[in-house]
Amino acid sequence: MTETYLSIQGVKKSFGPTTVVRDFSLDVGRGEFISFLGPSGCGKTTMLRMVAGFEEPSEGRIVVGGKDVTHLKPNQRKIGMVFQAYALFPNLTVAQNIAFGLRVAGMPKAESAQRVQDMLKLISLPQLGDRYPYQLSGGQQQRVALARALAPKPRLLLLDEPLSALDAKVRVSLREEIRSIQKELGITTIFVTHDQEEALSISDRIVVMNNGRADQAGTPFEIYNRPSTRFVANFVGTLNVLEARVLDAQAGSVDVAGQVLALDRDLAPKRKGDMISLALRPEAVSLGRAGARTGALAATIADVHFLGSVIRVRTKIGDSTVSLDTFNDPTMPPPVSGTPAELAFAPRDLMVLAD
Amino acid sequence: MKAGKFWAWLTFGLGAAYFIIPLLATMEFAMRMRRGTYSFDAFAVVFGDPRFQQTFGYSVVAAFFTILLGVLIVVPTAYWIRLRMPHIRPVIEFITLLPLVIPAIVIVFGYIRMYGSNSPLPFLGSARGTDALLVIGYAILALPYMYRAVDTGLRTIDVRTLTEAAQILGAGWGTIIMRLILPNVLIAVLSGAFLTFAIVIGEFTVASLLNRPAFGPYLQNIGANRAYEPAALAVITFVVTWGCMSVIQMLARFAPKSANRPD
Amino acid sequence: MATISLSEPDAARAVPPTARAVRLPTQWLGVAPFFLFAILFLIAPTAYLILGAFQTPNGAFTLNNLAELWQPTIRAAYWISIKVSFASAVIGALIGLAIAIAIVRGGLPRWVRSATMTFSGVASNFAGVPLAFAFLATLGRLGLVTIILRDIFGFNLYSTGFNILSFSGLTLTYLYFQIPLMVVIITPAIDGLKKEWGEAAATLGATQWQYWRMVVIPVLWPSFLGTVILLFANAFGAIATAYALTGSSLNIVPILLYAQIRGDVLHNPHLGYAIAFGMIFITGMANVFYIWFRTRSERWLK
Ligand SMILES: Nc1ncnc2c1ncn2[C@@H]1O[C@H](COP(=O)(O)OP(=O)(O)O)[C@@H](O)[C@H]1O
Ligand SMILES: [Mg+2]
Repeated sequence: MTETYLSIQGVKKSFGPTTVVRDFSLDVGRGEFISFLGPSGCGKTTMLRMVAGFEEPSEGRIVVGGKDVTHLKPNQRKIGMVFQAYALFPNLTVAQNIAFGLRVAGMPKAESAQRVQDMLKLISLPQLGDRYPYQLSGGQQQRVALARALAPKPRLLLLDEPLSALDAKVRVSLREEIRSIQKELGITTIFVTHDQEEALSISDRIVVMNNGRADQAGTPFEIYNRPSTRFVANFVGTLNVLEARVLDAQAGSVDVAGQVLALDRDLAPKRKGDMISLALRPEAVSLGRAGARTGALAATIADVHFLGSVIRVRTKIGDSTVSLDTFNDPTMPPPVSGTPAELAFAPRDLMVLAD
Repeated sequence: MKAGKFWAWLTFGLGAAYFIIPLLATMEFAMRMRRGTYSFDAFAVVFGDPRFQQTFGYSVVAAFFTILLGVLIVVPTAYWIRLRMPHIRPVIEFITLLPLVIPAIVIVFGYIRMYGSNSPLPFLGSARGTDALLVIGYAILALPYMYRAVDTGLRTIDVRTLTEAAQILGAGWGTIIMRLILPNVLIAVLSGAFLTFAIVIGEFTVASLLNRPAFGPYLQNIGANRAYEPAALAVITFVVTWGCMSVIQMLARFAPKSANRPD
Repeated sequence: MATISLSEPDAARAVPPTARAVRLPTQWLGVAPFFLFAILFLIAPTAYLILGAFQTPNGAFTLNNLAELWQPTIRAAYWISIKVSFASAVIGALIGLAIAIAIVRGGLPRWVRSATMTFSGVASNFAGVPLAFAFLATLGRLGLVTIILRDIFGFNLYSTGFNILSFSGLTLTYLYFQIPLMVVIITPAIDGLKKEWGEAAATLGATQWQYWRMVVIPVLWPSFLGTVILLFANAFGAIATAYALTGSSLNIVPILLYAQIRGDVLHNPHLGYAIAFGMIFITGMANVFYIWFRTRSERWLK
């Protein structure tokens, strides 16, 4: 990571008796694209609004570019913000909306007009400067909102679920456009979303929030493959969870529904007899051929769903269910429900979940 | 933030004072009738006055017929516009707004000149006819409110789908209006009705110019001749108006929430 | 078209005319009662007066009736009416707007808003004769406020030249229904101001005042102006309150017209028509101005 640009230090926010954000600390590098990911109501918006200055933290500090802004008013923070509901000014044209921040800052007319043109080009709507917001589609409105936020060259760009109100197709193309514009300008960005796919696909780093806390911060790869809590593992992607009893903590051997499994790690501080939760992504499991992979568990095929290029198979190991996807190989007979099968996986893909 | 809240409270407080003080003053004035002590004598005198009972009764009956006429004119029209002729909706809306622009006194002046005893439609030739003209005039005055209320009510149900469904099941027009549309807009119609009642009950201009023994002219007459009774009458009228509005508020709570637009 | 009808010439020729002939009238039949009612009891009586304003008693065309409106008493009546209506509309609208903003955006508890809305519904309909009684009981010579000011604060209201039967008294009274009417109508418009607009403006560096000047006022302006015009017409045609308050001592247009209808005090029936025409003309012009304003300068309105 490059030098820290935005630093959130031990922030807590309470509304009356309810604490909505707690122990939130995060360092964001210059030009980094960070996503806040979490279920609705977990405090993402509240945290973002504290960065913007609409809420004051009950505890902690927020530092931008080395300067403590915790108690600075929103209109002095030089922040660009994009809202879920676009929030374009209905009485101003697209060009006037984009010029709003420039006009307020007292930029000369000619200079501001030039900048508006540049911004319109940036969002690829060069012809629409004279339209009014109601004459635009949702996706176009949101791009204008982005241009409006970026026009005054803010120090930070904050986006609060900017794609939630759009339909699926626009959502995907616009998120890529946002990411490429962000890279082009090199602006430090926080992007709030409850959609894991969105967060995984465009972020440098993701902060997974749960109940007001930052459960884990890491790259999409780390979040997906090395979730540090059960919540993160469950929230991001599909997960098979197996309950296991520790047989030998040091050697890493456990008992899963009567079958012994050797993990390649030390399970301390757990001890012999403790219960632990193991998690396995569907794509880390395959049917039958153990091959190079050393982990294997006997299971029964419960049901089979034919999805086209992929076949989803649900299997039972004792009381636990393990789902997995196999490619549809026309030369092989499809799995049959009710038959026994062997599940193969690499032991290092087994995650041990903290509770 | 804090300063904003202070100003909000101040604005609200001053407004509340302007509106509540006259009510208190009126009540206080009404209770001054007996020298040296507060009493409800003025109210007793008013309630005991046979002309109060007659004129109030007359206005209640007039209001009832006004509501009936308004519903008969407005409900089928608003329904038909939604169902078959949405394109003439602006025309209808324009007409229903006219009574807000043309003063009541002008409308009733027109009636007096057009519907005299020698005219083709001699409404003013008989007492019954004049009563009818009074009700018609009131229906015109209430038209903007009645139409708005019913149209809003119709907006919350999907008129077209409901009607088509009923037609498929073999229902005739009478059945559709009485059994399907009216129950669904009943709440809206009732709101319009109570608003109409509040407008009609103390109306002065039309009743006075048509020489009808209604409550409004009676109020005016008492005002010109008595000291404390007018204040008592003002309190009574305010209570009646308040009652009508409370009923409307309560009705609004029972109104069907929009069927085709979630909100 | 021609090629299709060739196959079944008889049917093609016979069916459409009947279908058209039957369909059009039935469709219009549904709205016929409404139009009949509106024409007979709203449009025709009004048109009758307007025509009468341009006729002599023998039915010949003239502009004399309108010219006679210029005589001092009538001119003065129009002038006072316009002043009272305008003042009560503008002041009522401004105060109503302030109250609406306070209850919607002021961060006051919820009950304040619902209580204000309920009360406004009542007060906006509490007009006419009883309202005059209430204000006489409040600010008349023996009214409670007058007495309290005199006995407790030693302030004699009536020595300042105040008179409830005057321009300022009437305006103050009219405000009692004008303000609530404004609150009732404008509150939904203020609800329509999105909180995010203010926040977007703030992040873009705008001060509260800049936000108001560049967004809030332009957005509210059409509803505001529309309501002012409605309030103006509302006060301009009102007679009962003024008549009960002042008898016929205050010379406003509706009272003048009332006296003319009852007793031809102007000794020219057609002058009555001209007065009525003048009233419609003024409220009508106010509305035309509003429509013109809306279509011309508010291109952003859908
Ligand atoms: N101004 C407020 N007063 C009281 N509670 C609030 C306020 N703002 C948010 N909350 C509560 O804080 C929690 C988190 O809200 P929010 O930050 O909007 O969640 P998210 O954006 O992750 O969906 C919610 O339970 C919400 O009800
Ligand atoms: Mg949120």
